[in-house]
Amino acid sequence: MSQTSPPPPRRRRRRSVFVIERISRCLITAGGLGTIVAVSLVFVFLAAVVVPLFLPSSAKEVANEPVANAWRDTPPSEIAVDDYMRVGWACFPDGSVECFRLDTAESLVRRRLFDGPPPTAASVSAREEGGVFGFPDGTLRFATIRAAARAVDPASLPEELRGIPAGSPVRHGDGILERLPDGQMRHTVLDTRVEEPIRIEPPSKVLLVDSSRHGDTVRVAAVTEDGRLVLESARERPNMLTGEVTRVVTSGEMRLPQLQGREPPSHLLVSGIGDSTYVVWADGFAVRIDSRDVSAPEVVEKLDLLPEPRVRVTSLRFMIGRTTLAVGDSMGRVRGWFRIKPHDAGTKDGAILAMAHDLERGNAAVTAISTSQRSRMLAAAYEDGTLRVFEMTTEKTVAEVAAGSPLGRIALAPKDDGIAGMTAQGLLSWRLHARHPDVTLSALFLPVWYEGYPAPTHAWQSSSGTDDFEAKFGLWPLVFGTMKATFYSMLFGAPLAILAAIFTSEFLAGRTKARVKPVIETMASLPSVVLGFLAAIVIAPAVEDFVPELLSCFVTLPFAMLLGANLWQSLPGQGRRGSIRAWRVPFLFVMTVAGIGLALIVGPVAERVLFAGDLKLWLDGQRGTGTGAWMFPMLPVSAVIVGIAMSHFVNPALRRISRDWGAGAMARAELVKFLVGFAAAVGLALLLSWLHGLAWDPRGSFVGTYVQRNALIVGFVMGFAIIPIIYTISEDALSGVPEHLRAASLGAGATQWQTAIRIILPTAMSGIFSALMVGFGRAVGETMIVLMAAGNTPVLDWNIFNGFRTLSANIAVEMPEAVKDSTHYRTLFLAALVLFALTFVVNTVAEIVRLRVRKRAYEL
Amino acid sequence: MTPLFAHGETMVWLTGGALALCLLMIVGLVVLVIGFGGGTFWPAPVVRVETLDGSVCMGEVTRDEGYRPERSLLEGVPADALDRTWAAIREGGGEAKRRLVRTGNFDLEGTHFRWIADYAVKDETRPEWALVIERLSWGRFYGEPKAFLVDGKPVAEAPADVWRAFEERHAEVRDRYEERRRLEREEIGDINRKIEEARLELRRTEIRRGKDSPEWKRQQAETERSAAELNAAFRAVRERIDALNRENARYELALVTAKGAEKTIPLAEVVRAYPSNRLGFGEKLGVYVARWGEYIWDEPREANSEGGVFPAIFGTVAMTLIMAVFVVPFGVLAALYLREYARAGPIVSVVRIAINNLAGVPSIVFGVFGLGFFCYIIGGGIDGLFYGERLPNPTFGTGGLLWASLTLALLTLPVVIVATEEALAAVPRSMREGSFACGASKWQTIRRIVLPRAMPGIMTGTILAIARGAGEVAPLMLVGAVKLAPELPVDGHFPFVHAERSFMHLGFHIYDLGFQSQNSEAAKPMVYTTTLLLIGIILVLNFVAVAVRTRLRRRLEGVLPQARTHA
Repeated sequence: MSQTSPPPPRRRRRRSVFVIERISRCLITAGGLGTIVAVSLVFVFLAAVVVPLFLPSSAKEVANEPVANAWRDTPPSEIAVDDYMRVGWACFPDGSVECFRLDTAESLVRRRLFDGPPPTAASVSAREEGGVFGFPDGTLRFATIRAAARAVDPASLPEELRGIPAGSPVRHGDGILERLPDGQMRHTVLDTRVEEPIRIEPPSKVLLVDSSRHGDTVRVAAVTEDGRLVLESARERPNMLTGEVTRVVTSGEMRLPQLQGREPPSHLLVSGIGDSTYVVWADGFAVRIDSRDVSAPEVVEKLDLLPEPRVRVTSLRFMIGRTTLAVGDSMGRVRGWFRIKPHDAGTKDGAILAMAHDLERGNAAVTAISTSQRSRMLAAAYEDGTLRVFEMTTEKTVAEVAAGSPLGRIALAPKDDGIAGMTAQGLLSWRLHARHPDVTLSALFLPVWYEGYPAPTHAWQSSSGTDDFEAKFGLWPLVFGTMKATFYSMLFGAPLAILAAIFTSEFLAGRTKARVKPVIETMASLPSVVLGFLAAIVIAPAVEDFVPELLSCFVTLPFAMLLGANLWQSLPGQGRRGSIRAWRVPFLFVMTVAGIGLALIVGPVAERVLFAGDLKLWLDGQRGTGTGAWMFPMLPVSAVIVGIAMSHFVNPALRRISRDWGAGAMARAELVKFLVGFAAAVGLALLLSWLHGLAWDPRGSFVGTYVQRNALIVGFVMGFAIIPIIYTISEDALSGVPEHLRAASLGAGATQWQTAIRIILPTAMSGIFSALMVGFGRAVGETMIVLMAAGNTPVLDWNIFNGFRTLSANIAVEMPEAVKDSTHYRTLFLAALVLFALTFVVNTVAEIVRLRVRKRAYEL
Repeated sequence: MTPLFAHGETMVWLTGGALALCLLMIVGLVVLVIGFGGGTFWPAPVVRVETLDGSVCMGEVTRDEGYRPERSLLEGVPADALDRTWAAIREGGGEAKRRLVRTGNFDLEGTHFRWIADYAVKDETRPEWALVIERLSWGRFYGEPKAFLVDGKPVAEAPADVWRAFEERHAEVRDRYEERRRLEREEIGDINRKIEEARLELRRTEIRRGKDSPEWKRQQAETERSAAELNAAFRAVRERIDALNRENARYELALVTAKGAEKTIPLAEVVRAYPSNRLGFGEKLGVYVARWGEYIWDEPREANSEGGVFPAIFGTVAMTLIMAVFVVPFGVLAALYLREYARAGPIVSVVRIAINNLAGVPSIVFGVFGLGFFCYIIGGGIDGLFYGERLPNPTFGTGGLLWASLTLALLTLPVVIVATEEALAAVPRSMREGSFACGASKWQTIRRIVLPRAMPGIMTGTILAIARGAGEVAPLMLVGAVKLAPELPVDGHFPFVHAERSFMHLGFHIYDLGFQSQNSEAAKPMVYTTTLLLIGIILVLNFVAVAVRTRLRRRLEGVLPQARTHA
């Protein structure tokens, strides 16, 4: 086409320009918007991971089938379900076990475990895969009862079973056959095994029995009809060479306390490691027996779990780990009790049983409780036909369902993904979708009563070696650590940076300024891993040997500076463009070094006088008094008091008398004034500290035991890291104050200092505020320095000589190990989100302030 | 006359003191790092110390310190001299000095270091022929030469002869060792890779067609055939390696330690040896330079505490470059959009503030995002789609070079955007208007007028972003930096850049070596050196950024307006 009618060249160029124009516009818009969207994706994604933590859990009914008549007449004493919610088994009072389908309630097999008379006591649970039975002749027998799943070769199956579709199980023999999505066949059958009887001497009918296994030790406890508590401990030791198992059996017994007018006890429980045995009566009376030594059990505590009259214990189970008791009563309450060791227990073993958790109360009596096999959840059924799932640690009600009629027996599925329950008529099951029951907003930020702790506490401990470990997701210690790190580093870095910025902008000659500023800005680019490494490996060990000297620096450095200033004033040649003016900055450095040198001299003296000769022992509280500790806050306070007193009383007087003095005389007077003032300030601080030290010793609060990696080190090094940021922004703000303001002030006769402090500083104040905010934001999120230099123990302690753990360091340490989508993982994302939001808000405030300032500066 | 306090000289001095303190701290820090990092490779003299209780040790003094000993803990002093020593210490104010001697010989004595207090020293000498031997395993060895063995028979016994024989033979033994390492790494690595590929191919067929399919059976036969071939090839390489090893094993160095124990070290085990006390300045300098060379070009040994950091340097550079490839175009695009195309209004200001503030968001937050989003979601998705045969071992579904680069790109994006925007804003309106007036379109104006003028700003932003990215460690701990990466992320095998591989990083190297190391005292020199290197790289980048800015700016101001408007 172009050959036949060539368009004029000018036109063709135009069209290509238009096309390119459009393409570039699209590309840039897409790229730009895409980038902005990608950046906001950070926030959205973090939030999306965190949100499921707080979404409600749900439970959905999946089956409701009538049960056989035989079940209605003698209901089972315990039911359990298998890992996949396909079959369940029920244990009956006559010692027989029946396996049934959960979806249709069809019976698969019923087996009598024992010949002879039926057991008189039983303690069976899904968690233990069976349990122990007691008999009228005084024997005890262990039995294993479980639903065993195994993979079967499809070739070994009858023809008609080979082609069953996935997800719809069929009956096969005594069990259930199911095709899995990957093609394998799974056969689930009831597996029972009974062990040899153990005999109680002298024989007596067994009323209650319980057992617990810890490692290779099995403990059994039984209450007999003649009022005895019999304990047996069997330790199995396989011989490595022969493979033989030797069994070491220890036994002991004691008389149970006789209780007037009470029936025999109704519950017997042996704790996880067998150190405590609990005997509980139906009216709530409980006896705790110290059974650490099996051969000499001893009653250590008697208490009433239900002090209210006519309230009865209707269900009593151990939570996972067999430490916390979940007590259900006839008032519809489920409460968690465990043993704690307070200072003033008053019992023989120094421990008491305490009610730590009171779950949301039901509307009718509790009929059954089932505790989880993998978490701290439990399900409770009530007389009015409702069923609730709780989380014990957080006291959260996870889910609630209604069965219509009361559930006599319930079972929480092994994977916490389902519940099965029996009413008088039928068998029901629910799918439970428990998202993150172990986290609630209040559990994250408020004290929670963890198992074994004497009181509700803030704690962060996300993992441990054992399965029954109670994860502690209290973010507060980490938030506290973050605040502590930020506080101490701002305390050190902010004043230095702002003062340095004032000096640079107002009192430094242009050429020097152009050299100094880039040096400090370069500091900002130092990688924090380097600072952290130096802090931990070089500075921390060095500081450990020079703590008093370092602390003295906070006094000697300002002293050296002030002394230097006064000496400087008294030097001759102070003309407007005096010849010695050029020497001021070098002299400054000399005085700084002198201040540090002075600290080396003062440090040991201070240690002897204030800290009883040895700072670390003094910090431990082993010697000396609190006076030294009060010096930390009192020195600045009295310096301010003396300063104010000076300016209000001494300066006006000085002004009156000094009218016709020469410069030299005035300088000398100033020097004397300074020395007197300094002595007065130190004296006042000593006096105030001594007075306070008599009343209260602050050791253990903001000062305390010295740890090598501590807040002082972090404050120092992280302060160092934020100095350049605060310095740069403040200096820009100060230099940005319009020159005509400065000129006007100086022209009106104000001195340089008066101009700086009365005109420049107030004008630049919001810029400095913005600098502080940005510095704060950096300190909050700094990771490597705190990770390396803070010791990383999540403790709540303001002590400047102790370590801490911050949100950021915690993420860095634990994130690689956190399992994707677990509660731990999401909680760490929450920590990241908190950091993100905090710094984002702080920086936004700073930015808005900065913009406003700039606008106002234009207006000036 | 104005009273003196109106001049506020004292307060001025306080502010000045703050500045002086800041500067002193910076200088102190830099001097500290240079001092520790720069001096650590300099060969120290070997001392042989005999303590009062008769024990002897030999090694290099690494540092000393003053301490207050307790009477019950006076080491190296026999019972009868205890009272005398204690009295002497008491006289000196209770302070004593002690030195940390690197005694090495871990395989014989079970420790690397020993503290020796000055009061316990009976005799101290610098044996002329004391050798410092850096070995491939067990750390350093200190001893005096006894014999040079060839095929187990001594060919030289006087120290000078032994040393001459060693110097003659060592280079060729090292060459053979290097050749062996090359064979192991390249040829055997090649064979292993092929075996793994065949296995994956088989697994792929299994996933696609099932185990019963004819394709799978064919593939399996193929795999077996190639496995037999590869095994033969493997044996051939193995034989060559064995031959090299046999030849190397002929040469050994017999040494005697300060305690009198004898030890024979195969020459192939020796990385470097020198008679420290005989070295002149030039030779010491030679050792120093050689060590730096090894440090920069070699791979780490002994859990990173010896050898070099080449993989870490390489990993840092590769990650930063990939990061720059992502961050620069997108940062510039976003800035162009915000400054040139978006309609100015509240929304754009909000976006601008938000981007500005992203620079202040803690880096660890980006790490968390990178792990959750890039590694788990995107990476997990890629694995499921393309690398099903390798599951459950993740390929992209775990930390790696690509994810680390992307995470850091997000982190440094605000730096580039802000710098570019500032540069764009600094281009005078008049230039744009002039361009429009000449009939140029918007894109032409941007490309020919605005971008060239803004180039210094963009370059500065890029370099600053690179400097920030190179120094950032916290997010890398989550998205792919590892203690020891077996392979470099870039090599000669297709597709050459293995973006999914984890990598080593200088910053992470510092953290890991300084904190997780078993033998932290021996690792310290390495950490100091790495610190020096990292700081050096970052400071140089910063200075380059400043230099580039000034230089381009100057050039633009002089030349550009006439030169470019023609083109």
